[in-house]
Amino acid sequence: MSEDVTLDEVRRRAAVAGVTLREDRVEMVRRLLNDALAPLRRMDSRALRTLEPAATFDAAPGDDDGRR
Amino acid sequence: MAGDDLVYAGIRELGTRFRKREVSPVELTEALLDRIARVDPTLDTFVTLTADRARDDAKAAEAALLRGDASPLLGIPVGYKDIYDTRGIRTSAGSALWAERMAASDATCVSRLQDAGCVMLGKLITHEFAWGIQSPGHRFKPARNPWNREHIPGGSSSGSGAALAAGLCVGALGTDTGGSIRGPASFSGIVGLKPTYGRCSRAGVATLSWTLDHTGPMARSAEDCAYLLQTLAGHDPLDPASSRAPVAEYVGTLDRPIRGLRIGVPRDFFFDGVDAEVARAFEDAMATYRSLGAEVRDVTIPSIWDAPSFMVIMASEAFAYHERDLRERPELYGDLLRERLVSGALYTGAEYVQAMRLRERLRNEMLDVLRSVDLLATPTSPKPAPTFAAMWDVSLGFPRSNTPPFNLSGLPALALPCGFARAGLPLSLQLAGRPFDEATVLRAGHAYQQTTDWHRRRPAV
Repeated sequence: MSEDVTLDEVRRRAAVAGVTLREDRVEMVRRLLNDALAPLRRMDSRALRTLEPAATFDAAPGDDDGRR
Repeated sequence: MAGDDLVYAGIRELGTRFRKREVSPVELTEALLDRIARVDPTLDTFVTLTADRARDDAKAAEAALLRGDASPLLGIPVGYKDIYDTRGIRTSAGSALWAERMAASDATCVSRLQDAGCVMLGKLITHEFAWGIQSPGHRFKPARNPWNREHIPGGSSSGSGAALAAGLCVGALGTDTGGSIRGPASFSGIVGLKPTYGRCSRAGVATLSWTLDHTGPMARSAEDCAYLLQTLAGHDPLDPASSRAPVAEYVGTLDRPIRGLRIGVPRDFFFDGVDAEVARAFEDAMATYRSLGAEVRDVTIPSIWDAPSFMVIMASEAFAYHERDLRERPELYGDLLRERLVSGALYTGAEYVQAMRLRERLRNEMLDVLRSVDLLATPTSPKPAPTFAAMWDVSLGFPRSNTPPFNLSGLPALALPCGFARAGLPLSLQLAGRPFDEATVLRAGHAYQQTTDWHRRRPAV
């Protein structure tokens, strides 16, 4: 998977989502996506097989520290 | 008590003086309303001032005091971030979209403080829908930093942070999705607590991101945050994420010694790009903790560099909340917020899921670290408050922050002043603890504030 989000990729994603970006703001959005997606692009999702995406935070009284 | 001393007094001191009849809630409220009239035109912290309501609340508090009511919040003047619903009073979310919106009932947190006897001074400006700082030409003006009006006071609870620093209220409510309580606490030189996810109700508060949103208190000391949290915390059936975990004693445990407390410092990520002045103030704070008998040592959170994936979650959830209005009435959003919200449409469903999986791994690692230490300590912000010009310049991007890892993990985190930059802007320390262990976080903050005076300094307003 490529390391960096490109301007063209941002435009393609916007078209698919049906949203409009001002051309002078595409670079700002590219940087936003690039930073946010970098950890995902580094990861091997197969190595996280045991982790469900749901996040719970509650700790029942007298129970553990909220860890699942 | 001199005027400035009165408006900057803390909750415990005010309660004592009320009950000795040295000052009354009505006198305090009038002093604050007078100060707001003089000072706020240059700071723009209040978006709606409720002077008549404040006077009525103060009179009711005075009558309750005469009846012997012991509530520690009786007669304490507060302001509410303008994304908390208030019945019969506009809740704008700092947006033209909601510019005249009236809520049918109070948010649960507002009800709890009002029922405890607080005096409602008004609604405090927020970044638009808790994410977009207002640019020139926006329907609402942004709050300004009392330490230097050319700089932002932090956001999104911008009015709350700036009003507290300027001595315009005694307590305030903020919300924190990626640091919106702790950021303004850091940049405005006050104290803000993001409690554990689920500890304080979000019912009646505008959503930014369901799995990251927190409500919490802001004040000028850890002690005052403890007083406010004591009333705010507790289960609320109106908030699906609200916890049934028992509410601890926050105020009564503040003075317990911190000797032997173990503080872990995660060096990776949190010190990346940190200004030298920030780093120095942080190390000085750790030296203070050692002198108080705490043990300070470095710790490692292996996946901490995954934290920026936070934005995938926040932007996706925010877009989901705003999608209909964004598509039907985009012109009612400010430019900065609209573009940030639209970015949330650009992530795929699979990317959202993967970000949530990374979040779970990071959270488990943070909990693991908190088995060997009692607290984590970091600088709250890598740099002091930026200027408005820098925030409005889209070419500079979104500033990095040390606060989102604790929204991802849901852990309680406190921001408190720990020094000043040479330019006169406040610097801040962040302390985070185990789930529902706000008592230890607040106790450590209080111990620090018993031996330092950063939180007592006042801007020249």
